[in-house]
Amino acid sequence: MASFSAASPPDLLLAATLEDDDGSQRGLLRTAWDFSFRMVLRYIKNSYKDDPFRTFLEVCLIGFIIWYMTKQKYNIGNNEIELSEKEIDELVDDWKPEPLVPELTDFERETLDKAALLDGPNGTKVRLASGNSKALLNFASYNFLGFIDNPDFEKRAIETLRKYGVGSCGPPGFYGTLDVHMELEKHLAAFVGHSAAILYSQAFTTILSVIPCFSKRGDIIVADEAVNFSLQQAIALSRSKVYWYKHNDMADLERVLQDVNKQLTGRRGKNALPRKFIVTEGLFHNTGDISPLKDLVELKHRYKFRIILDESLSFGVLGKRGAGLTDHFNVDPHEVDLLIGALSYAIGASGGFCCADKDLVEHQRLSGLGYCFSASMPGILAVAASDAIRALESNPEGHFASMRENASLLQSLLKRIPGLQVEGALESPLMHIRLTPETLVRMKRSGGAWTKTDIDRVLAELVEEAQKDGVFLTRAMYVDEHERLLPNSSIRLCVSCSHTRKDIEKCAHAIKNAVSRVTSKKR
Amino acid sequence: MGKGQRATQAFKSTEFIEQARDEDGLVIGGNPFKLAPTNSGSLLQDEGQATSKKATPAPAEESKPQKVPSELEAVPSLILVTTYLSFLMLIVFAHLRDFFGKLFYPANYVQLRVQNGLAPMVSDFESLWTRRLYGRIRDCFNRPITGVAGGHVNLLDRVSTDFNKTFEFTGRVRNVLNLASYNYLGFAQSEGPCADKVEAALLEHGLTMGSTRAEAGRSLLLTETEDMVARFVGSEAALIVSMGYATNALNIPAMVGRGCLIISDELNHSSLVSGARLSGATIRVFKHNYTPDLEKVLRRSISQGQPRTHRPWKKILVVVEGLYSMEGEFCRLPEILELRRRYGFYLFVDEAHSIGALGPRGRGICDHFGVDPREVDVLMGTFTKSFGAAGGYIAGSKALIDYLRLHSHSAVYAEAMSVPVLAQVSSSMRMIMGEDREHALEGQQRLDQLAINTRYFARRLADMGFMTMGHPGSPVIPLLLFSPAKIPAFSRECLKRNIAVVVVSYPATPIITGRVRFCISASHTREDLDYALEQISEIGDLLLLKFHKNQVAAASAAAVAAASDDSKKIQ
Repeated sequence: MASFSAASPPDLLLAATLEDDDGSQRGLLRTAWDFSFRMVLRYIKNSYKDDPFRTFLEVCLIGFIIWYMTKQKYNIGNNEIELSEKEIDELVDDWKPEPLVPELTDFERETLDKAALLDGPNGTKVRLASGNSKALLNFASYNFLGFIDNPDFEKRAIETLRKYGVGSCGPPGFYGTLDVHMELEKHLAAFVGHSAAILYSQAFTTILSVIPCFSKRGDIIVADEAVNFSLQQAIALSRSKVYWYKHNDMADLERVLQDVNKQLTGRRGKNALPRKFIVTEGLFHNTGDISPLKDLVELKHRYKFRIILDESLSFGVLGKRGAGLTDHFNVDPHEVDLLIGALSYAIGASGGFCCADKDLVEHQRLSGLGYCFSASMPGILAVAASDAIRALESNPEGHFASMRENASLLQSLLKRIPGLQVEGALESPLMHIRLTPETLVRMKRSGGAWTKTDIDRVLAELVEEAQKDGVFLTRAMYVDEHERLLPNSSIRLCVSCSHTRKDIEKCAHAIKNAVSRVTSKKR
Repeated sequence: MGKGQRATQAFKSTEFIEQARDEDGLVIGGNPFKLAPTNSGSLLQDEGQATSKKATPAPAEESKPQKVPSELEAVPSLILVTTYLSFLMLIVFAHLRDFFGKLFYPANYVQLRVQNGLAPMVSDFESLWTRRLYGRIRDCFNRPITGVAGGHVNLLDRVSTDFNKTFEFTGRVRNVLNLASYNYLGFAQSEGPCADKVEAALLEHGLTMGSTRAEAGRSLLLTETEDMVARFVGSEAALIVSMGYATNALNIPAMVGRGCLIISDELNHSSLVSGARLSGATIRVFKHNYTPDLEKVLRRSISQGQPRTHRPWKKILVVVEGLYSMEGEFCRLPEILELRRRYGFYLFVDEAHSIGALGPRGRGICDHFGVDPREVDVLMGTFTKSFGAAGGYIAGSKALIDYLRLHSHSAVYAEAMSVPVLAQVSSSMRMIMGEDREHALEGQQRLDQLAINTRYFARRLADMGFMTMGHPGSPVIPLLLFSPAKIPAFSRECLKRNIAVVVVSYPATPIITGRVRFCISASHTREDLDYALEQISEIGDLLLLKFHKNQVAAASAAAVAAASDDSKKIQ
């Protein structure tokens, strides 16, 4: 009964209006109306008694309001043409859209047909579904620390499966936050040495979410020219004003920073001081170079910028403990305002994370689109990432010493191969190789110019040749038409700590043979 | 392949696929399975009764044929006014608290001021909502769980001693009824045939692929699953992406670009908005689920061409969702397809919530409306919901998918799908399709169970006088709460009664229509649903949520009167 009476307020209102049929009620209303009308009339009469100017002014004002409200709304830059329905129908009939996607070129079709198809697990050695069933040495996957084919993790993964299932069936905000997610976040923050961390379920989307979450329209981003595609996309999505500096050129960066600050001096009002960011990568995906973090930090302080650092590749690879670029240069991680990392490369799981101050991490939980609007990472992958980091903590030497040894060995061996160009920092287990321009010129007997497709085709042949010698390589793939500055075509090599010295030598040998076979071919 | 084909044939030969179904895809005349979970028998009886006594009209279902979402018009004006007033009050108080806070506790507001030459990371105005409004009800969100988010879920108990600024875990775990997770078909499991398959796959294929799909991450397991997805949704080919959000955000830019037009439903998901922005195409919006407005936008856009230059558009992509998860509404696919035939645009349907959950065979919105999926140019969906996995797919013509395999950002730059997720997708999908010979009937049982649960729950809610939204048959049932105070109150009351629900408010919904969302699953038993309904009814009385109570009472009184009239006449 209590609920019944409580539910009545709307009903009362309804009742009051419904009661119009009642005669006495109507009489009362009319009296009240008459009374108030007369009051208003008398008030107006009194106030305008001796002031014709005021009356005139107010009439004008009312006229203006009516004119303003009834006049046609206009849009800036609108040049629409009035068309009759019949004309529109004709235009609709005339309109022929382009096909949804263009047709693939011959080379693209070839690439698709010949794309590597793995039969069984990925790891130091892989088996391809096509061709013979011989196992190939894998230098294509980002298996720097050999975590992908670590049998211990598989056991743990099955235990996790039996507790957490696979999917989390919801975004983190809606009962998708597992205890293992929170543990991993804490673990990551502690490992990197930052205040807090937040997990995203895909590495690419991490960057795509973090940057637009803080850098908005009107803010300023100064970015390295050679940053990877996800950073380019994130910068585009943020709609901030962007300035590019020459790849890893600190003098050029300083010039740009000075320029930006000069433009901002004397600005007043709301946009007087926008947020300003330097955006760069720890270990460059497209070149294998390492950012000079110490210089960046110094410049950041001098010119009052913040640093957004993409450590996707460097996390788990660089530094004594493997904690990334800050570890490598022994810089306090707090100097990096937004540190973005990935768990899908060296760590061998999936997803990404962002380390930042506590407030900034909490802000992302509501404003990071990839966090708020997508399902959380499966528990299995979170536990795998935790395990991998624990393995790094317990035995850093075991992983990094051999990985770096292998990397420098391979690099020195490759540099000896004539006609081959090797790109990548000495410490980097990721390197790009390509044929030198001179070799390319020599190869083309007809003397015509090399198009990108020609070069790609040669590299594809190189990959195939190496495969014959038992080494699995891949071309670095790009979406050519969307890259801001398309990197030169290359083959990307990833060295793992689980490669033996013999494997490295075999790889170098295979590449040498492949290069000589490809370059000697007439075209 | 042969095995699978045969299994399909065997599956098709059983009689139930040709069962008579009503327009919502519900089996008419009861479920033919005697193997159905123990709870379904009673549910079916009840459903049978419901169909027999169609005389009592449920007010929520009446609104279905109307064109414009008409819920707001039906809102009593008193509620409208009080809701706006409450928001006004909240905002005034938020500003007051900020004003005095900055005056007396400047240390707490350091983040919002310029510090040694750096602009604040988060602007004062932007964060007002988060700090002062969301902060009050933070305990209703991000509630951490442990274990599987199945029909019931284990919640980690937490308390806050500083008004939701921080939380402490008490160490207790609460098992609550889960009406929040998108576990529509109940595949979020840590045991059973799917989990066994996942375990086997883990042992055979490892955990992850350590590369992108275009480089070294393409495995037989992946391509086989892609083929199965294509077969499932009924298109020529499919591409699997390792994250649902990324499926939209990273694939739309590969299809449209500068000089193209995207026409998007105004309530589209954030990932679609991100994808559209990244593509560089012009974006126009049409009124939610209102095809006449879509047509108006189309006619204007095609006839006027690109802004300023008046050149014709290269292509036009209309982006809609199959099932709008905040509203529980289906897109008007047949009408949109009609427009597509006339205007020649390309159609992108995001089936994130509808795939697996809708249609008599679980094939999503096309199956629900009985439309040929090949008429839709791009079918996108996720595995997070019905399949209990993660990630998503894009399906369409072979030409489209082949192009995307080389040009989609997700395929070229993002990590390939991990092994356990792939195994979960393929095993659950096989089960739904009835290709899993040992469990050939279980998939269909789950589909039927979901349809029954959904209809039952929605009908009972409407009968109680609640104001629900959405189309009948939707596994997401939003219930309108309106007032901002009722939003956390509902969530907390539910939690007190051991029910986990999701409440949503502005900015996820229009400011006025704060709501609670019930996600129904096939793993809910009749007892679960009845318990939940009973508790929700109590909460509804407590929070004055039964806005239609009088109408329902009047309708039932009228029905009783009519019945007694009839009986008198007979006498």
